[in-house]
Amino acid sequence: MNKKLKRNMKLAMSIFVALFVILIGYLGYSVLVYGRKWMATPYNPRLKNAISTMDGGSIYDRNGVKLVWTVDGKRYYHMEANIRRSCSHIIGDIYGKTVGAETMFADYIYGMNKSVFDRIQEVLLGEEGEGSDIALTIDANLSKYIYHNMDGKRGSVVVLNYQTGEILADVSILTFDPSTVNEDELEESSLVNRGTMGRYPPGSIMKIVTASAAIKEHIDLTYECTGECYIDGQRVSCTKAHGVQDLETAFKNSCNTYFANLSVKIGGDRLLAEAERFGFNKSFNFEDIILYSSSFQTSDSTGDVAWAGIGQYTDLITPMHAAMMAGAVANDGVMMEPLLLKSVDGGNNAGFRFGIRTYRRVMDESTAATLKAYMKEVVKSGTGTSAAISGYTVYGKTGTAEYYDENGEIQNHSWFVGFLDKEHPYVVAIIFEGAGFGSAYAAPMAATVFEYLVR
Amino acid sequence: MTIKLRSTKAILFLEMLFCLLAFSLLAFKTEYEIDFIALAVGGGLALFNLLTFNLARITFKHIDRFSFLTAQFLWTTGIVTIYRISQKYALKQLLVLLISVSLMFAVIAIFTKAKDFGRWNYAFMALTILLLASTLVLSRAIGGAKNWVDLGFFSLQPSEFAKVLFIMVSAYILSSRNKVRQMWSYILYVALCVVVLLLERDLGAGLLICGTFIIVFFTTTGRVFLTLSGVGVFAGGAYASYKLFSHVQTRVQVWKDPWATYDTDGYQIVQGLMALASGGLFGVGLGRGLPQVIPASHTDYIFTVIGEEFGIIFGIFIIIFYLVFIVRGILIALNAESRYDALLVFGCTAMLSLQSFIIIGGVIKLIPLTGITLPFISYGGSSLLSSLIQLSIIQAVSIKNGRRDEAELLEMGGRIQ
Repeated sequence: MNKKLKRNMKLAMSIFVALFVILIGYLGYSVLVYGRKWMATPYNPRLKNAISTMDGGSIYDRNGVKLVWTVDGKRYYHMEANIRRSCSHIIGDIYGKTVGAETMFADYIYGMNKSVFDRIQEVLLGEEGEGSDIALTIDANLSKYIYHNMDGKRGSVVVLNYQTGEILADVSILTFDPSTVNEDELEESSLVNRGTMGRYPPGSIMKIVTASAAIKEHIDLTYECTGECYIDGQRVSCTKAHGVQDLETAFKNSCNTYFANLSVKIGGDRLLAEAERFGFNKSFNFEDIILYSSSFQTSDSTGDVAWAGIGQYTDLITPMHAAMMAGAVANDGVMMEPLLLKSVDGGNNAGFRFGIRTYRRVMDESTAATLKAYMKEVVKSGTGTSAAISGYTVYGKTGTAEYYDENGEIQNHSWFVGFLDKEHPYVVAIIFEGAGFGSAYAAPMAATVFEYLVR
Repeated sequence: MTIKLRSTKAILFLEMLFCLLAFSLLAFKTEYEIDFIALAVGGGLALFNLLTFNLARITFKHIDRFSFLTAQFLWTTGIVTIYRISQKYALKQLLVLLISVSLMFAVIAIFTKAKDFGRWNYAFMALTILLLASTLVLSRAIGGAKNWVDLGFFSLQPSEFAKVLFIMVSAYILSSRNKVRQMWSYILYVALCVVVLLLERDLGAGLLICGTFIIVFFTTTGRVFLTLSGVGVFAGGAYASYKLFSHVQTRVQVWKDPWATYDTDGYQIVQGLMALASGGLFGVGLGRGLPQVIPASHTDYIFTVIGEEFGIIFGIFIIIFYLVFIVRGILIALNAESRYDALLVFGCTAMLSLQSFIIIGGVIKLIPLTGITLPFISYGGSSLLSSLIQLSIIQAVSIKNGRRDEAELLEMGGRIQ
């Protein structure tokens, strides 16, 4: 046998070994990273199987309020209808209609994650066929309070702890009652968790991203707002002529013409890069929740860039992502991954995958401080004054997002994102669908929520 | 290069222990009755493994113990998993295994005696094509591919045997011809094989033959340009079949996003992924998974059942066992005396590893799925027999190497313990 053949065979062997190492790496990687998502789909027959054969564990809120439990194989829910309805999207159902904690954490609740060793222990202790209890990060009473104050208006209110990412509330209207969801005739979109799956045009809350880009790139603009302007043939208007504006006053007054011109000056590419730094166009692969991705596009037309920079054009954002965005400003520029699972009772899981997870740093500390000062002004003397509460500093940004309804008429979503100082590290994102101006509907709701949070 | 007998004893012991424990678990699965057949199968298989290993070791002094034991472990895992899915299939598979392993001794004997089957080369070529084409005439379609021949009392998959002939033909041609222009008949033969397989829509076997050809051809000739043009033709063919056949397009789409069509085309791969994910690191335990929802769980998709019930770590061990097989195979090829023997072993090793890579990579969504069996593990008599013949060939060359080394050592006045 000649040397060349031997050499080539050794080469082939190395290639094979490399391929198989890739195989092992990919298998481990994909199961560890995506396994939870693969399993937590309502289509997984194993879930239905487990639900029908195992006694699922109970689900508690962060303060120990028992929300769901099992007796004799039947799932029972909290007796108060408003608690059931305000937490329904977060908890989910057992029929595979929605993706909530019931499916995301089914491996714990129905004991599907138990290893051989756990099982042996269980058989010895006679505890077979039982799942673990779990506690979520949500506050059931806060959710009920929010649900009550939303007064049936369609929309979403998300409350996060911006330092840890814990979800305190994710209330969405329309909603459903998990105890009767299988029998009820539901209105369309009742099952949609608007907080994580509702993709809305962000409107002026997008100015946080645009302003961040301007601060980072040191782009300064002084501009006189006459109430309207034309960019590449597209008309951009304000509610009134704001007069001469700089970045701070324009942010406070939510001046569209200023931000339209600023966006053009920043340029489509840099604006897109900044939006993607904030998580737009990214598919979020979070451990605890399924969050739909937000989108941001620009085009060759400066008119489109201008509109994109003020949160219209094709921009879309979920309320959860909006809360994360404002939370990043509050948290010195670091965006946290939303958490839902607080603890698992029993089993070998405690401490295994819990803990705070940073999504990414989206801006440096000085940019965050500048933006924070701007957001303080918004509530102090700008468009968000109705979000203020006495005795505490509130930071925020209002938004009014235009969209066309089914009759082709322009309607406005009312947006507000805002947060409190670090003694109460909470951020809220509020949207009321088609309600009107952000300053008129969402901002007062924020004050209501903040009142509860500081109590 | 032989391993110490003591360590092989330990491996054999562990393998038998695994077999007995797994079948005991299956036997005592329900509280009401004990499955005595499972106990019998478990005990019988463990004993059979013990006997065949020792018989092979004694009859042929220089078998490669490592790859033999690896194969034993893989087929034991296979029978356990198939038994868990369906007792009927497992018993059938066991019967085929008993016959095939007995046949192995004859095959090993033939290959240790033979030089290179040069006289038979053209007959083998014709037989390959005949076997492949026979399904076109006598087939019934299974799962989009026509690759079965029903002989009434049992059905055969001729492409499995064509694979072995293909390796033999390749080894002969590539060892006896030095110039590429002497190989045109061979290249034509390869092309014909692939075209027939594509016509039968047996993409798995087509890919396997094509891939093995490219690997073996490059290794022997070292002709980069020609190999690249082979890869080019292969890529062109793949693209053409993508354009021509709707079921190829479906597969690529399903590979990109199986969740989009989870209830129709993507169903199998989605179920497989869910199974792997539910298993986690340590598995849900033998008999506690849900293989009945996975299509082809006992054949092409058996890896996902193993992943669900034994866990990802065990699945990784299975992959490592194939890796052991590859490394042993190539070491034997490197040590072979004649060019023909080297290429024969190299061809078998390349084909077995490519086959396991294609199917494991397919079910874990690393590459688009092409349905072929997992060597030694999947249910299917033709597939098992074909894999065992390839194992026999590797063993035969190892024996030849061993005898030569022994003779050389004796000549130098050494002694063998």
